[in-house]
Amino acid sequence: MAKKMEKAKPGTLGKVLRYIGRYKLLLPLSLLFALITVALTLYIPIIIGDIIDNIGTGEIDFVYIAKQLLLAAILIGITAVANWLMSTINNRIAYQVVRDIRNDAFKKVTKLPLSYLDTHAHGDTVNRVINDADQFTEGLLLGFTQLFTGILTIIGTLFFMFYINWIVAVVVVVLTPMSLLIARFIASRTHSMFKARSETEAETTALIGEMIGNQKLVKAFAYEDDAIKRFENVNSRLQKNTLSAIFFSSLVNPTTRFINSVVYAAVAFTGALLALSTKDSAVAFTIGELSCLLAYTNQYTKPFNEISGVIAEFQNALACASRVFELIEEDAEISDEGNRVIGEAEGNVAFDNVSFSYTPEKPLIENISLSIVPGQRVAIVGPTGCGKTTLINLLMRFYDVSDGAIRVDGDDIRELTRHSLRNNYGMVLQDTWLKSGTIRENIIMGKLDATDEEIIAAAKAAHSHSFIKRLKNGYDTVIGEGGEGLSQGQKQLLCITRVMLALPPILILDEATSSIDTRTEIRIQKAFAEMMSGRTSFIVAHRLSTIKEADLILVMRDGHIVEHGRHGELIERDGFYAHLYKSRFPTEE
Amino acid sequence: MTRLLKYLKGYTKESILGPLLKLLEATLELIVPLIIAMIVDYGIMGDGGSSYVIWMSLLLVLFGAIGLAFSVTAQYFCAKASVGFVARVRSALFGKIQTLSYTDIDRIGTSTMITRMTGDASKVQNGLNLALRLLLRSPFVVFGAMIMAFVVDPTSATSFAVVIPVLSVVVFGIMLISMPLYKRSQAATDGILLKTRENLAGARVIRAFCMENAETESFSARNDALTGIQKRVGMISSLLNPLTYVIINLAILWLMELGAIQVDSGNLTAGEVLALYNYMSQILVELIKLANLIISITRALASASRIADVLDIESTEVSGNVTDGSDSEYSVEMRGVSLTYSGAGAPSVSGIDLSVRHGETVGIIGSTGSGKTSLINLIPGFYPATEGAVLIDGTPVGDYSTEALRERIGVVPQKAVLFRGSVRDNMKLGHPDASDEDVIEALKTAQVYDVVMDKGGLDAEIEEGGQNLSGGQKQRLTIARALVGKPSILILDDSASALDYATDAALRRAIREMQGEATVFIVSQRTSSIMHADKILVLEDGEAIGMGTHGELLNTCEVYREIHESQFGGGAVNG
Repeated sequence: MAKKMEKAKPGTLGKVLRYIGRYKLLLPLSLLFALITVALTLYIPIIIGDIIDNIGTGEIDFVYIAKQLLLAAILIGITAVANWLMSTINNRIAYQVVRDIRNDAFKKVTKLPLSYLDTHAHGDTVNRVINDADQFTEGLLLGFTQLFTGILTIIGTLFFMFYINWIVAVVVVVLTPMSLLIARFIASRTHSMFKARSETEAETTALIGEMIGNQKLVKAFAYEDDAIKRFENVNSRLQKNTLSAIFFSSLVNPTTRFINSVVYAAVAFTGALLALSTKDSAVAFTIGELSCLLAYTNQYTKPFNEISGVIAEFQNALACASRVFELIEEDAEISDEGNRVIGEAEGNVAFDNVSFSYTPEKPLIENISLSIVPGQRVAIVGPTGCGKTTLINLLMRFYDVSDGAIRVDGDDIRELTRHSLRNNYGMVLQDTWLKSGTIRENIIMGKLDATDEEIIAAAKAAHSHSFIKRLKNGYDTVIGEGGEGLSQGQKQLLCITRVMLALPPILILDEATSSIDTRTEIRIQKAFAEMMSGRTSFIVAHRLSTIKEADLILVMRDGHIVEHGRHGELIERDGFYAHLYKSRFPTEE
Repeated sequence: MTRLLKYLKGYTKESILGPLLKLLEATLELIVPLIIAMIVDYGIMGDGGSSYVIWMSLLLVLFGAIGLAFSVTAQYFCAKASVGFVARVRSALFGKIQTLSYTDIDRIGTSTMITRMTGDASKVQNGLNLALRLLLRSPFVVFGAMIMAFVVDPTSATSFAVVIPVLSVVVFGIMLISMPLYKRSQAATDGILLKTRENLAGARVIRAFCMENAETESFSARNDALTGIQKRVGMISSLLNPLTYVIINLAILWLMELGAIQVDSGNLTAGEVLALYNYMSQILVELIKLANLIISITRALASASRIADVLDIESTEVSGNVTDGSDSEYSVEMRGVSLTYSGAGAPSVSGIDLSVRHGETVGIIGSTGSGKTSLINLIPGFYPATEGAVLIDGTPVGDYSTEALRERIGVVPQKAVLFRGSVRDNMKLGHPDASDEDVIEALKTAQVYDVVMDKGGLDAEIEEGGQNLSGGQKQRLTIARALVGKPSILILDDSASALDYATDAALRRAIREMQGEATVFIVSQRTSSIMHADKILVLEDGEAIGMGTHGELLNTCEVYREIHESQFGGGAVNG
């Protein structure tokens, strides 16, 4: 009811129609069946009125009645079939259109530049693909079924009413819009109440989430009584606001019912007077016609009451569609069509006067030149949040450099296809990501055609075989979203196995952090060591041994590469690295 | 639902009058077809004439107006009762949750409790409101229409007796068949939702492994499956309209046939046939309303019983009433302490003996899952020890009143959580009476005073979940929060993990220099954070496998040495 009314962007309807256009054969069929349904639904009361008239004459013609009954029965059957076909076709169109839109939206998700994904809340994008698309389906279906048949019913009823008796018809036409006006009046008055209610509701939900979500904290600080006080406050406001919103909006039904009964009475009154005054004339207004008009009055007001709701629903659907289209029309990453395909690289990586920044106002990397030969180890060092991921973003071409070039084996990576470039990298991030599915599916991501022997060999090398073996279904154990059911260390070992299986020439590794226990950490260290031998590797390093043994240390601070060189050189320089080193390893001095 | 009925007390008047007024309104609606019949039979066909028609039409309007008044009053009563009822239930739930012990909270789970208070509560509200309004009204109209038909003409009314059960079977049958299908379609939607969320969260990995096309195909397959289910549900549920339409209209035709015979034999008037026709039309609408109502009520009842389950929980929280400890040389003592969580097969902490003097600093180290947090949770009595005794100032933890324990012990949990609101409100969480000076002192000790000043001082707003703060800032603020009450025991549960080493060191120094000599427990995974402690406890699988100073442990405890060397690169791995 109190839907947030967001306007759809202009042109949305056209785009929706283009999607519907793929099913253009179904559309006229739907309209045809709708027409049949409405016409027959309206014609049947006329037959029944005719029968009532025949009954009313006193001399009942049973043969005629039987004939009329049979006709009515046949028409009723046809109406029902047409009605069902219409709904089924509408369902088909609506669901298929939404399927197509969703597929396009998802395809776009896999092609969006990382900069979009990093700067837009994931929840919002998910919402567009799922909820907005769902609401759009609902609206589209309603629009198809109710809006169209509603309008047809109104037109048809008017036509038949004027056909039977224009005076009664005029009475109906003049009076019915009243219910619409009243409904609108109530809706406009209750809008602010609904707003107040949903605001209080949001406030309540937030408080509940905060307090109960952290119930242990509340208890640890003996905050229970204050929490109750705060809750009682919002709860009583919520009660008040909800009551007024629910009550005032629930006035719509009884009031429109009242208006309808007034119209009903007016029709009965006019009809009866007409029948009286024309009782003995040749063109008498009959009881059957009165019953028919009374039936119409009920039918006529129904779509009227519904239509405003349907229109609102349809507008909301368009607004939802426009949000989905916004996603679909988002710029994809720069196409790499026509780019060269690089085979297995040797592992030369060069930074050629590279500059980069996420936003022009905040330059991060300026004119960095580095040259890394195959088999070298690069340690990336710096305090938390210093922007180590920026380097990974550039190496993997998740982001493009602003100036200069990164070269792999001499090729500017922007001139290679993304897939062939990324096939040369193995990446194990601290923020492990596993997809829902089996352990095996997760391991073979890097090499889809791997045999069982290869998988097990990789798992053994990555020290993950022993724990996988102990899982309920071994390699076919299904893990939940985000690797649910596995410990942080196990997840990281799986990610290592994944890379171990493919063993690309260049590695990007992120050393273990505090959330992993010592034993597992030692295993991961061993696995890393095994992988790195003979490969060019970039390591986000925490361990002194890794840093000391690196061929090149990149020291990062606030997103900038502030120093680079070997351990000894950097200590001698006595700059940021030396400071960091001293504060971190005080006893090593 | 019956378990929740007591919360309806005080709304008895509303809960009885509401449905009653709805019944009166329905009664008026049932009389209308009779008035129309009278208009036809006496007004038009008989000798009533136009004045009769006028009076009867006015009567129709009057009925409408009275019906409106009844209905509006009823809606108000029903809304008031259901909204008030649910507000009370929510309030009772919230209060109940506040009394639960840590063990209870673990068992129920916070997300369950949140769902009970939000989603379930609002389902109960809608269900009750609808039930009060319609549960009596709809069957009343359906059966009322049939009874009125029997009053008008028992012979013709037999068609009603046939139609009502047939319609009910169709309406409820279709709903029963399509309901599980709706559930499946919901599950299929969840499937594509998961896929989308996964692809956003794992974008980097998916692209690093060039899985975009495989993922798109997998999405498209799930999407097709969803569309298939949706179309099937649509096909079945769109049977409802045409089928009921056929039944009701065939019944009307049958009624006409029966009516014609009855009129012919002089038992029925044409107006009465018209009335019967109108009654037949009223049945369908109410029957569909009833079916929808029953679905909502079933859902509401399920929610209600889930809520009642939480309200019925007997809290296992126990607390004593001692406020002062005895004179003891030790601040904290543990004697053969074990803790087995309820439902767990093995103890998380077992056989711990520990004596800590006033003002000492204790470091606790061990791998994930070794029982560090479980151990320190015993000190403030969050969980009672299943074996052995924990003493604070010589008195068992369980003997203290909860207030006395919270006053004495400052806790910094592992997860740095701050509430939405000002810095000041957050800092005063456990000590509403603390002065600004106390707060500032705590902020300074926690090395976060400058950050707070940069953000705009004590009135600076913290967003939901502390989104406008970095991990390290949040950790330092939660440390400050624990310091505000000047606790005599301070527990830091891996609370400095996001701090860089220099800040961590400064923080530890400031805590050491605090006035009043607090006893400090530091849980950490970094030996650098605890190496200066007076005593270090090394845990593995819930057992103490080492206790002593840094220097002692390096010589005596292999695990400790291993941890230390892995962090300081003393050659654990020669990769």
